[in-house]
Parts: sequence; C-alpha cells; structure tokens
Amino acid sequence: MITIRELTAGYGKLEILQDLSLSFAERQFSAVLGPNGSGKSTLMKAIMNLNTVFGGSIHLRERELIGVPTEAISRLGIAYVPQRENIFDELTVLENLQLGARILPKHDRPTALKELQEIFPILGRRGAQQAVTLSGGEHQMLAIAIAWLSKPSIMLLDEPSAGLAPAIAIDVFRVLGELREQGMTLIVVEQNARRVLQYCDYAFVLREGMLVFQGTAEECLRDEETIKSYLGVH
Amino acid sequence: MGDNLPPALLTTSLVNTIQIGSLYALMALGITLTFSVMKLPNFAHAEYATAGAYAALIVSLSGVLNPLVIMIAAFVVGALSALISHLAVFKPLERRDVSFYTLILASFAVGLIIRYILFTMADYFNLFDLRIAIPLRVLFREGTLILSNLFAWVVPTSLVLVFILTLLLNRSPLGREMRALANNVNLARVIGIPVERVKNYTWLLVGGLAGVAGALWGLQTAVHPLMGWGAIISVFAAAILGGLSSFSGTILGAYVVAFSENTVILFLNVNYGVDLAYKPAIPFIIIIVVLLFRPQGLTKLIRRAGDLGR
Repeated sequence: MITIRELTAGYGKLEILQDLSLSFAERQFSAVLGPNGSGKSTLMKAIMNLNTVFGGSIHLRERELIGVPTEAISRLGIAYVPQRENIFDELTVLENLQLGARILPKHDRPTALKELQEIFPILGRRGAQQAVTLSGGEHQMLAIAIAWLSKPSIMLLDEPSAGLAPAIAIDVFRVLGELREQGMTLIVVEQNARRVLQYCDYAFVLREGMLVFQGTAEECLRDEETIKSYLGVH
Repeated sequence: MGDNLPPALLTTSLVNTIQIGSLYALMALGITLTFSVMKLPNFAHAEYATAGAYAALIVSLSGVLNPLVIMIAAFVVGALSALISHLAVFKPLERRDVSFYTLILASFAVGLIIRYILFTMADYFNLFDLRIAIPLRVLFREGTLILSNLFAWVVPTSLVLVFILTLLLNRSPLGREMRALANNVNLARVIGIPVERVKNYTWLLVGGLAGVAGALWGLQTAVHPLMGWGAIISVFAAAILGGLSSFSGTILGAYVVAFSENTVILFLNVNYGVDLAYKPAIPFIIIIVVLLFRPQGLTKLIRRAGDLGR
C-alpha cells in the first residue's frame, strides 16, 4: 500500500535513512522497530513530508508522496500521530475532536463523533475539559482519536505507548487492535519490541538508517538473534 | 486620588481612558493575534491603522459621510495592506526559515515602506492633518467634559468589534483553526488544516481591525502619516501586558496603558509637578517593568478560555 524505494532522508543536511526500501501491506498492522537513532521516526516524517528527503520515492498505491504538502497528505487518507505535541493542549477535548473531524463532509461529522464514543469511551466525558489537563493515557487516546476522526485508511503512530504505565499502554494497543479489525492499515514505530510484537502482523527492524530484518511478528519473536542484537531486548 | 485631582479633570481623563483604551484594544488584539498565530511581533501593524485612517479620510472627502461605509473602506484597506505585507515579505521570509529577529527587522522595514508611501500620497494630494469629515455634534456637555457623537461612535464600535472578534475566535470553525495554529502549527498541518489559508484570513482580520481603529482614531484627531506609528509603543505595551498571548489580558492591558497615559500622568502632574511631556515615557516604563517582573503579562491572573495559548 505504501511502497518506499531507495529512500534517503533526514533533517537539514543530515542523512539518517540510507537507501531504504520496504513496503507496508494493506490492512496490516506493521511495526517499525529499532534502537534510538535508527531512523524510525525519520521514516514516519518522510512519509508525511515533515523533513528533508534527499532521494528515492514513497508511493501510496500509484501516487508519489514526495513533494505533496503535509496538509494534502491527510486528505489522501493517511493520518499521523506524532510522538510528542500530538494534541492541541490549549484547546478543549471537544475542540480537538472537531478539528480532527474537519476534513470529513459536514453531514458525516456527527456520526463520526458518536462512533468515537464507542472506541474511546474515556473521551466522551471529557469534552469540555482543556486537553492539557488530561492524564497520560487519556492524552494518548485523544491523539489517536484526532487521527481516527479523519477516517483514514492508513494510520502512522510514533511510539504510541512511550511514557505510559504498562496497563495503560496495553489499553492503547487494544484500541489499535480494534482499528485493525475495522480494516485500517497501521504502521507503528515502537521501542518496546516485545509488546508491539504481540499485537502486530509484520515487523521491520531498522538500524543506523538501514533495514536489517523484516518478517512476520512470529518470525521476529522466534529470531532471538535479531531481538538481542538489534532491539536490545533480553 | 480624586482628592487632589479636580473632579472635572478626573472625569475628562477617565472618558479619554475609555476612548483611547478601546482603540488601543482594537489594535493590540491584532498584535496579539499576529504574534500567536504567525509568531511575529509585527511593528508594521501601526501602519495598517494609518492606511485605514487615510482610506476613511479619502472616502469622507469624496463626499460619502455614512460612517458605516467609511469604516468598511478602512477595514478593506487595512486588511489588504496586512495581507500584501504577508504575501510580499513575511511569507517568503518564513519559507527561507529566517530567524525571529530577521522577521522583526523586516516588520520595521514594511512599516517604513507603508508609512512613506502614505507620506508621498499625502504630499501629492495635500492630505496632511485633515479630519475625517463626519460632522461633529455635541451630545453632552458638563463643565469641561464634552461628549460628542464621535465618542458614541468610537467606544461602542470598538467594544462591538472586540466582542465579535472574541466570538469568532471561540465559537467559529475559523477561530478554532486559528487557535490550533497558535497552539501547534505542525499538528495543524498533519491533520490537514490549510495553514496558509488560515494565515491569510488572520492577516485580513488583524489588518482590517487595525484599519477600523485608525479610522476611529481619525475621527477624533487629524489624520497624518505618522499617527499609527505614534501609537505603536502604547499598543505594544498593551499587548505585552497580555503576555502577547491572552485576549482578555490584552484588552485589560489596553485600558491600563490608556489609564496611565491619561489619568495617572494627570494625577502626577497635579500632585508632584511631573511634566505632562513625560506621557510618551509611560508605555516604555510599562514595557520595561512588565518584561522585568512579569514577562508572562497578566495572563495567569485572568486566565480564561479563549486565550491563545503559550
């Protein structure tokens, strides 16, 4: 669904990803794993046109994404949940949700907001609250809800469980599992490899900007060598 | 303090405070909005007010004396001056990722250019120190206190516009998008808010409001190419009192500055012989004191929904 060929990307003049080629399959939950600085977030940002691409191509089905303005990418059905600053913390929860739903046709917005209550029941009671006052888990749910409201076919998430208590992180992954059941393509960057491997279908492991492993979640879990040497998990 | 200030003087100065404070508020809200949404302390802002005042003057000299038409003309010219300065200067500079300081200097340059375009025009058509030709009528007279129909125009118009602006920011989709940009521009892009379009609307709005403020100003004093520039420090002082981020703080700041410039200076003059010529120093003193002791302005004191964040 998203095909990346020989992508070299980074920030300013710094190249972080080197000639990376991989493709994310439709309706799959893919995880991008790797140690700090391996280029996982850089890959997400390159897809969203938020950093510098030096070469290569990124295709959404047949369409080239490089050069498409970030604002337009969400209209192509890709939603992105950044790791930090992923909500409008000075606005109320309801305003955040309204902004998330703004690219839907007007008559679809009330239904989407209603459906949201079922997937993210916790947010329903917080509408009037300023988003900055949410707890860590609620904050992350809001960030995912904003992305979900645009009814994307693909959702990119950068470390959705970072900084969350284990029980809450499991809640977040459970919601992601539900979204996958609904037919959404998920691409999740994670440091906590063992946890995400329990939920995802397929995994890519990056190291120093290059792809060093790819395979199903089971294959990845079975391959102790990959886990130990590239993910630092024992 | 009224003990030592003759009541008539006190009342007149308070009336001036309300009148000038309302105009400062209209202009300072534009500065706060530009700073929040565009991250630019725009020193050319005063010139949009002057351009609006000249538009009002020219329309009134052409024989149209309907105040509403005059205000609309001022809004349009102020709005266009702001949008053009964004499209021609600020936007290309932002694209080149220049520093904050370069943008501030650029805003001074833009101000200078507009000011001297107005000077050239005023010189060519001999439009110096004229009043917008709405006939003056006295509505109320009591001793030295005179309330004219201009007061009845300036204060309600400013207050209504401030109210509409607050409503627009807090209740409309466009206002929500402006606040989203002020809060987190990257996320705004990611979720598909058309950032450049929202910025253009913001420029039209702040320029238009400054234009109307300039026209209202020109109702009570003579129109001159330097009139906006003369008020810019007071207006910035008001916006800084609002922490350059809070709407309610900016409005309060506008009245605090106007009160200091009208009533406090008079009080100091009557009681301590402080020369009235020190009046222009007041906004500078306010800015220095606020930046030294309370750089966040009055925000935390009166934090409310509708503030623009950070």
